[in-house]
Amino acid sequence: MTEAPTSFRYVSKPRRTQEDRRFVTGKGHFVADIVPDNTLHVALVPSQEPAARIISIDKSAALALPGVHDVITGDELAAAVEPMMNGLDTPAVKRYAMAVDRIRYCGEWVAAVVADTRAIAEDAAELVELETEPSDFILDAEEAYRPDSLAVHEAHGSNILLDRTFTWGPVEQHFSESARELSFRVTWGRSSTVPIETFGVLASWDGWRDTLDVWASIQMPKYADQIARALRIPMNTVRVHQDVDVGGSYGVKRGIKHTVLAGYISRKLNRPIRLIEDRLENMRAGDAHGPDRIFDISIAYEDDGRIRSMKMRALDNAGAYAGRAPFQLGKPIGAIVGPYTIESVEYQAISVTTNKAAQEAVRGFGQAPTNYAIETALDRVAAAVGLDRVQIRRRNYIPSDQFPYLIPSGTSYDSGDYQTVTDKVMTQVGWDDLVRQRDALRADGQLAGIGIAACLEPSGGNSSFEPLLNPANTTTTWMDSCRIMVDGAGTVTATIHTTSSGQGHQTLTATIIGEVLEIDPDQIRVIHADSQTSLPSNSPVGSRMAVMLGGAAFNAAGKLKDKLKRIAAKQFGASPDEVVYSEGTFATADGDQSLGWMDVVTIAHRYFHLLPDGEQPGLEVTDVYQVPTGGGLPTEDGRVQMYPCHSFEFHCVLLSFDPILAKPEIHRYVIGHDCGTVINPHIVKGMTLGGIAHGIGAALFEEFTYDDQGQMNAQTLADYLLPSSHEIPAVEIVHHCTPSPFTVLGQKGSGESGYLGAPAAISGAVNDALAPLGITVDKLPIRTAALSDRIAAAANTQS
Amino acid sequence: MKPVPFEYERPHSLKAACQLLADDEDAVIIAGGQTLIPMLAMRLARPSRLVDISRIDGLSGIEEQTDNITVGCMTRHAEVERSPVIASHVPLLSAAMPWVGHAPIRVRGTIGGSIANADPSAEVPLVLVTLDGTITLSNATGSRTIPARSFFSGPMMTEIQPGECLTAADFPVWQHSRTGIGFREIAKRHGDFAMVAASAQVSVDATGKCIACAIGIGGVTDTPLALPELASSLVGTAFTDQSVHDAAKAATDNLSAMSDPQTSPEYRKRAATKLIADALMAARNDALETSEGVTT
Ligand SMILES: Cc1cc2nc3c(=O)[nH]c(=O)nc-3n(C[C@H](O)[C@H](O)[C@H](O)COP(=O)(O)OP(=O)(O)OC[C@H]3O[C@@H](n4cnc5c(N)ncnc54)[C@H](O)[C@@H]3O)c2cc1C
Repeated sequence: MTEAPTSFRYVSKPRRTQEDRRFVTGKGHFVADIVPDNTLHVALVPSQEPAARIISIDKSAALALPGVHDVITGDELAAAVEPMMNGLDTPAVKRYAMAVDRIRYCGEWVAAVVADTRAIAEDAAELVELETEPSDFILDAEEAYRPDSLAVHEAHGSNILLDRTFTWGPVEQHFSESARELSFRVTWGRSSTVPIETFGVLASWDGWRDTLDVWASIQMPKYADQIARALRIPMNTVRVHQDVDVGGSYGVKRGIKHTVLAGYISRKLNRPIRLIEDRLENMRAGDAHGPDRIFDISIAYEDDGRIRSMKMRALDNAGAYAGRAPFQLGKPIGAIVGPYTIESVEYQAISVTTNKAAQEAVRGFGQAPTNYAIETALDRVAAAVGLDRVQIRRRNYIPSDQFPYLIPSGTSYDSGDYQTVTDKVMTQVGWDDLVRQRDALRADGQLAGIGIAACLEPSGGNSSFEPLLNPANTTTTWMDSCRIMVDGAGTVTATIHTTSSGQGHQTLTATIIGEVLEIDPDQIRVIHADSQTSLPSNSPVGSRMAVMLGGAAFNAAGKLKDKLKRIAAKQFGASPDEVVYSEGTFATADGDQSLGWMDVVTIAHRYFHLLPDGEQPGLEVTDVYQVPTGGGLPTEDGRVQMYPCHSFEFHCVLLSFDPILAKPEIHRYVIGHDCGTVINPHIVKGMTLGGIAHGIGAALFEEFTYDDQGQMNAQTLADYLLPSSHEIPAVEIVHHCTPSPFTVLGQKGSGESGYLGAPAAISGAVNDALAPLGITVDKLPIRTAALSDRIAAAANTQS
Repeated sequence: MKPVPFEYERPHSLKAACQLLADDEDAVIIAGGQTLIPMLAMRLARPSRLVDISRIDGLSGIEEQTDNITVGCMTRHAEVERSPVIASHVPLLSAAMPWVGHAPIRVRGTIGGSIANADPSAEVPLVLVTLDGTITLSNATGSRTIPARSFFSGPMMTEIQPGECLTAADFPVWQHSRTGIGFREIAKRHGDFAMVAASAQVSVDATGKCIACAIGIGGVTDTPLALPELASSLVGTAFTDQSVHDAAKAATDNLSAMSDPQTSPEYRKRAATKLIADALMAARNDALETSEGVTT
């Protein structure tokens, strides 16, 4: 096994990311760029009601329009395909690509029109006549949770997908022993990642080759498996082209229902089928909204601000179907105490169905809302004991000499130095000056506040929340792979086995292989295998690729180097561990004998007679890498090792707003960030800045709201407010590196950085600004008019 | 997001354009397309035909008259924004332009489109109403000019009759030597339509006393609204923060403000009061600093 180098040649160096060249010149290759001859286009007929029984669907007028090939309804589809997978063991919560008998949310697909062009398909979609009988609907999670509530899936018997209470440690004892207690409720509004590129798929069935070719804007583990299963075709007939560029995702690009539908139509009509969501389809029925969550928190703490125990009830509104939404309550269990020494936790995780659109995974998989709840608790405790909000965190941090640190819910944190990162941010921000600046703004009539958030980014994702929440699922394998080939001309090609949605996997892989082989990474070619030629991968979820693909690439490069050394050793008459490798040259320790890269490559490819006994010709190695903490099933009381690595971030933000206009303006934003060994600084910086922008969106702007008729009133980007560059401040990033002892180079993940703490920090700052008025805001997003209304209401009750 | 099928015409004379509109009541003008194209894409607008007026001579340009500036309907927002003539004669319009959407939208969006579209939050109509300007409408047989203050009849509704094209808007030029302007707006995000906008123009005499005043608000009621009574109540007074605030409060108290899912009517009124006062004070301070006046 190759040892990690102690100083780096390419890793951590600010080298240009390989992917950027094609993106900044507009030469990305996205699913919408792929239009084979004879392609037919799909448009969807959306339901107008949040809940209804379908009485009839009249397709005749639509079919009569010239250019229309077919109109598919839910009935037809359900007869031909399997329902889509649920994460939990909830077989009666059936889900197909289109509504079958019942409509469960506004916008849900009730029919699909297939036509020569998308425009004709849209014309015909208007002609599909839908007769329905509207029924009662339910939008509120608390209401859905009540035992007598109307069940969105009658056959399931209730709206409850998940309701489990975990108790880790002597919670009641800690509560009775502690000097003080406080409770509060906070709410995380339904937002998401909303990529510029909507979801799209092109599916093309070739019956003569038994192949369903799929090009899709996808970020999804086991995508090909699910398509094959649903379409009842062998998995080895599905070929997902993983070299398609994906225009943004952060979790949401799952598209199973779209792909099952397109695949079915393609097999039926024998034509390539293109289904590219338009913005309306994406917003209302892309099934890509994120967590929608109410937290009730109780904290037991001492007079000095030390937190002993926490009770958290998290009630999540999953929307109309289950999917993987309930798991977003499971992942945060791996960092349920944040960076703090909280000794025991009670956690009730509830997921309910309602008549809102279905959820999908969103950056952090539930961690950002949880961090918002935990950080609010820290602020509340600070206020209660009269301690500075930085101080309260310092007092509760896990000390740097206690790693690996086992938290009550069963995860070992790998490493961290929270005090030092905090020190660095305090220095960068000039804390005393920042406080003075805030106070000057206040003196000027503004409401001004400083927000603080400290939190963890669990990374290197495994799936331990699956067996934890669904005992029927005993998966413990969660691997990623890399294959390296050196061709007869000596050039190096690495293959990765998943799609990329902007994470820079090419740069990551080339950098690490270059580091091990001491070859300029720009000379290493990185390609995406298609799903038929792929080694196993679990795709870029859970901030895992630096750890997992990085680990596989490192190990594969090590295996390659070992083989080359064995071949060289044979020529030297030495043993392989006597061979010294440096920058493409193999030599004996004394330097008397040496062979160049091409000499050894040529032996491998052409001179079998010079190969060591038993050595296979050619140069090809693979590594299939399991999560470095292995994989174990949960204990009976619900403890499990969740993700292996834990990056840390500390946010500090100053903002202010006019008490009447109430539009927060961010004056200063500093983040301290520790993701262990950085592979490429540009990528980490980009992730962090993007994550903070995303977090500002969740904190101040973005929400999929529904009116009391169950209609979604944020169906376009005019109503769903994504922050633009105007709303995002300059961000100062302060780095620190605490390597992970579990990973090949000490790296941790950073794909969710920034996003996991920014909402908490912004909320903290707004609440600090409101503190002089004696009020708080307890729901995200904090929107301008609502904030002003809150301030005005407080002024009225005071006067 | 594909429009329903429509026909497209690009006439070369105003008369031909108006005739096309008169002949087909489902035909609509397309100018900059910045509002119409998204409406078409979402199938909220379903015209039978688009009449593109971008190639008609004489519809674009900024012209100085004795007491006002005429802006042709096809004049792009960006041209107005950068125009030195507008900057020196109708500085309130210059100040408003950067608030109209984003720069790329202003490159295509037109003054006529902005006014004809009659969005209650739009800045150009607000300035025109504030300054008590006029609007010229033409049909195949002639034209008429009406005050902007009676042009807007509701949200996205105007006095334009079938077969008419809005050809120009006239912005009055104030001759007082000490004239200043104030424009204030609050939007959800930069570039969004205003939740509330306030525009003010104030002239003062050598002692600082107000001798002329105009104030209007956008985004609050269902049309852009001039507040002439508020304005005239301030003429002859020396502005103080308190008196201006009280007057603004009185002017907004009885308004029936619009609401949307994110914005309560109360917010609109509170913000309007503040922005009216801020805009007036800014205009007055600007006037005090102006020694040359707005005309040259
Ligand atoms: C993202 C975004 C943000 C925006 N933000 C703002 C904003 O903050 N403030 C603001 O004021 N505007 C804003 N706009 C709207 C923009 O300014 C519009 O372009 C403008 O209001 C309409 O002008 P247009 O030339 O594009 O008209 P078009 O889109 O071509 O037409 C709009 C309507 O006016 C009619 N019309 C156009 N010209 C005439 C005419 N000469 N006679 C009769 N009828 C005519 C058309 O038939 C159509 O009904 C925004 C637009 C976008 C896309």
